Formats: sequence, structure tokens, C-alpha cells
Amino acid sequence: MSESPGNVQGSLAALYESLQTSVLQLFTDPTQLSPGQAVLVAASALFVGAVVWTCCGGQRRTKVKLRTEFTPGKIYYHVPPPVKAIPCLTPFGMKLETYLRMADIPYEPMYGRSMGPKGKIPWIEYNGEAMADSGLIIEFLNREKGVDLNRTLSDADKAVSRAFTKMVEENTYWGLGWYRWIDNFDQLYHLFEVPWVVTFFLRYVRRNIRRTLWAHGIGRHSKEDIEGIMEKDLRAISTFLGTKPYLMGDEPTKVDTAVFGQLSEIVWTAPGSYLHRIVTVDCPNLQAYCSRIKDRYWSDWDQLTKKAKKDQ
Amino acid sequence: MSESPGNVQGSLAALYESLQTSVLQLFTDPTQLSPGQAVLVAASALFVGAVVWTCCGGQRRTKVKLRAEFTPGKVYYHVPGPPVKVIPSLTPFGMKLETYLRMADIPYEPMYGRSMGPKGKIPWIEYNGEAMADSGLIMEFLNREKGVDLNRTLSDADKAVSRAFTKMVEENTYWGLVRDRWIDNFDKMQDMFEVTWAVMFFLRSVRPKIRQQLWAHGIGRHSKEDMEGIIEKDLKAISSFLGTKPYLMGDEPTEVDAVVFGQLSELCWANHDSYLHRIVTVDCPNLQTYCSRIRDRYWPDWDQLTKKTKKDQ
Repeated sequence: MSESPGNVQGSLAALYESLQTSVLQLFTDPTQLSPGQAVLVAASALFVGAVVWTCCGGQRRTKVKLRTEFTPGKIYYHVPPPVKAIPCLTPFGMKLETYLRMADIPYEPMYGRSMGPKGKIPWIEYNGEAMADSGLIIEFLNREKGVDLNRTLSDADKAVSRAFTKMVEENTYWGLGWYRWIDNFDQLYHLFEVPWVVTFFLRYVRRNIRRTLWAHGIGRHSKEDIEGIMEKDLRAISTFLGTKPYLMGDEPTKVDTAVFGQLSEIVWTAPGSYLHRIVTVDCPNLQAYCSRIKDRYWSDWDQLTKKAKKDQ
Repeated sequence: MSESPGNVQGSLAALYESLQTSVLQLFTDPTQLSPGQAVLVAASALFVGAVVWTCCGGQRRTKVKLRAEFTPGKVYYHVPGPPVKVIPSLTPFGMKLETYLRMADIPYEPMYGRSMGPKGKIPWIEYNGEAMADSGLIMEFLNREKGVDLNRTLSDADKAVSRAFTKMVEENTYWGLVRDRWIDNFDKMQDMFEVTWAVMFFLRSVRPKIRQQLWAHGIGRHSKEDMEGIIEKDLKAISSFLGTKPYLMGDEPTEVDAVVFGQLSELCWANHDSYLHRIVTVDCPNLQTYCSRIRDRYWPDWDQLTKKTKKDQ
């Protein structure tokens, strides 16, 4: 028994008519909106939003709001505000800011939560332009300000330096992310110093992080496998550092900003974790290394972090 | 003028009834299905699929089909195949793992196919009835199981440097190859993968997923120029560190050579005239020489494996 074709079109047309009426009602006298009409309008809006998101979402170039007035040659450094555990919660922020201090480049911190032009933090404004990615920013500033933290290194040492930078930023970093957002998520609001209720929003962000970890590859491993991979990375850094004060020798070089950027987060924001145990107990030269760099380049650490406590 | 609430529920109910009838029609006599009914059923199926995908998609543990009978202690090595005319394996992690097996003298049986491993990636192996994934973890396992240590002559500091280069080339440089193959020069893949137009159509649908991976990793957010600059620096670093040495860590090959050869072999032989190919052959010729050295030593059957494909075409 075949259904008359008119029925499908008919009911679709009736539904569309109801939607039209509901939207009109919404704009003329919303108090008269029935529950059914409200649900229909909301569902349609969500559907349209989902279609738009699928087509354009996930790879949006983030439009950033720049300063209208700026001092030429001055670096405006965008990063989230300090918390009591550490001056910057992103390892790439700790890296970039440590570089600026090592290279004696003055900068003005612009504490806030805006994401940079590539949807990541930190980012800077320089001569009216937004720039993203700590590595590219450092290369740019090296050229612009005539800085070379690697001037004493041979070509082979520079290569080793790059290899360690990439290992710590493209591998070890994800282990920290996994620990913070997946394994130890319940404590995240405490670290971020936000009210517990914000955890609901953070849960939504966590879904994206899980997808990112999966897409990267490391999220496909079991907990034990990830921890094993992280342990090997950290032990490799510790072994290579040995008894040297800095990774490449007696004086700090560029790679120390990258490694300190990642390790500082483990030392000061992940107490009680297996990561913390590795860098403090198993490989104490890593903790000593971090403290050395903190004492030399972050003499205002306590002031920055205590201020966060005071403002609460 | 307020609409009677009954109208919304009414039209929704009528639509649901139409859907029920259409589905019933689909299973009893699909030839009588009207275009409207067909569209309604298809749209509903897509909608349900999208909901399920959103809730569970992207993180599925892949169920793999294992052999019912196996020889204990034998490595069954799953990799896409058979080999194509340009290279024995189109995945750098396949070239890496297979080069390691040859370096370590571990016999294995290639199982050419297209099945993904238990973590949704390739290559993967079956060993004593179990599936294992991730070339790095597989190598660590086989090192323990077979008593192999390609790094035995290295100091601890050298092993650390070795790991750093491994991670750089696999977690950074690798994505340069991915972007070049799948995004910038996708059209050249048909010839390289030796597939039909139909398969290319399917590969096109995989591309958004690759874009998502590149974005998620972070490197996909850079402009083409920025990214090429990053990858170029990686390759020049490997070239600088290699220098005039025959192998990365000295006179004899170690584990990192399997890794680096895995990635560079793809650039040397399975990459058209891209910037990547130019860097490893023209700008840094010691990289091409290095790759040829390893190929000659551990892949004497290279021509046989790849020509076989040509012959069968």
C-alpha cells in the first residue's frame, strides 16, 4: 500500500509554515509563543548553527582586536594572567617570556584571554601587527632586534638544540596536556583559579582536547603507554643535561627557553603527578635546572604570583 | 496574531507519520517509494548517523581481524600494499619498522592489505595472536622479546640525542610530508598510490580528516610559507648533524637511522618535485647519499619489490 506522495510534502510544508509563524511570533509578541513554537524555533536555530559550524568551524582564522595606538618597536605580549602556581599557565608563554628576558628585550604584558591570529596563545602585537607562534615570534625578534642566543653553538649543536626543542614541544607537551585535561581534570578549575561552576564550560573544552589528542596520535595510546613515552622524553633531557648548568653548556641558549617552558609547568603546576615525580625525584637535575633558570630570569616570580593570590 | 500551538505539534506529528510510512514502504516495496519519501528517509538516516558520529565518532578503538592460526614467535607485519613502483611502503612508519626488522635481522612475513591496526593507524603487527600498534612501541617490544639493541654502542647522552631526533622527525617533519601529499599536491597522489579514479574519490573524502589532524597538531595553522620554513629547518638540522658521517650517530647504523630513513626515503623517492625533494637532493645532498647508503645495505630487493608492481600493471 503506497502512501500518497502528497503526505510527505504536505507535512513538510505545514512544518515550514509553523516555523514561519513561530519566528514571526518571536519578533512581534514573544510572550504569546507556545512551548511547541519555542522548541521549533530553537531547534531550527541550532540546526542552522550546526550546518554553519560544520562548514566553517574548526579552522577559522581568529580575528584579533588590535590596539589603535602603539609605540613603534614595542612588544605588546598577550598572555593569560599569572596564577598563584606559576606566572603563565601555557608552557609556550613561559618559553616566550623567558626568551624576552634572556635576550633583554623589553615588553609590556597584556594580560587577557584573547586568542591570537592562529587561535593559540601566546601572541604579540608589534608595530600594529598581530603575530602568532612562539617559535616564529622568536625568529622574527632575533632578526628585528639583532639577537642570537645560539651564537656560541656549532652547527651540529644547533641541530641537536632544534631536535630537543621539537621533542619537548611536539611530544612531551602533549603528555602534559593529557595529564592536565584528561587524567587530572577535576583539579583544573583550582589551577586555573576559576569558580568550580566554570568546570561545566571546561568540560566542553575537554571534548575538543580529546579530539585533538586523538588527531595528534598520542591520545590513541593507553594511559600506561603515554606515561612510558613521557618518562622516556624526560629521562632523555635529564641524561643529556647531566651535570651541565644549561642544556648546551655553561651558558643558556635558545633551547633552554623551550625546555624550561615545558618543565616549569611540570615542576610548579603538577604536584603529586607521575610527571612531577620524574622531574623531582627520579631526575633531580631537572628540578635544579628549572630553579636555576627561575632564579636568574624570574626574580619577580613571587611578586607576580603572590599578586594573583592577593587579587582573589 | 498567535498561532494555535496545535499547528506545530500537528505538522511534526504528520511528518513523523510520513517517515514511518516511508520506512515501511522501503522495506515492503521500495519501487513504489515516491521521491519525497526517499528524500525524507535518507535525510533522517543522515541525521541519526550524524548524531551517533558526534557522540562516538573520532575515537573508536578499531577492531582488527586476527589470523586464526599463527606460528609462535613469528612477526606478521601489516602494511598497506603491495609495494608501489616508487617505494616499498608509502607510509614512513612502515619504511621505518621494516628497515628496523631488517637491521635487527628479525624475520617477518609481510601481510599486504588495507586494514588499520588496533589504534587506527598503520603499520601494525600480529605476534603470538595479539595485535600491536605504533612502530615505536613495537620496536621497544621486539627489542625486549628478541634481545635486540641497535643502540648498544651509544653513550647515554647519545641515546638522548638519538631520541630527540626521532621525535623531531616523527612529530614535526612528518607533517610536512603529510601536508604536501594530501593538501598541496593531492592530485599527484593518484599516480603515486597507483589507484583508480574511484579510489581517488574516496581519498578525497579522507582529506578533511587530514586537515583536521594538521589543525589539531598545530602545524596546519601556519601559512604555506611558514610551514615550509619550519620543515626546511628540520631537514637542514638533520643534514648539519649528519655532516660527513655515514650514519647519524657514527660509523654504524643505530635505531635512529631506521627512523630518519623512514621519513627521508619518502621524500627522496615517493615525492614529486616538491620543495621537500629539492632540500634533500639539491640543498642537502648528504641526505640523499645517506638514504641511498641505507637502501643499498638493507633493501637489496628494492627493485624486485617495486618492479613487481610495474610488471603486474
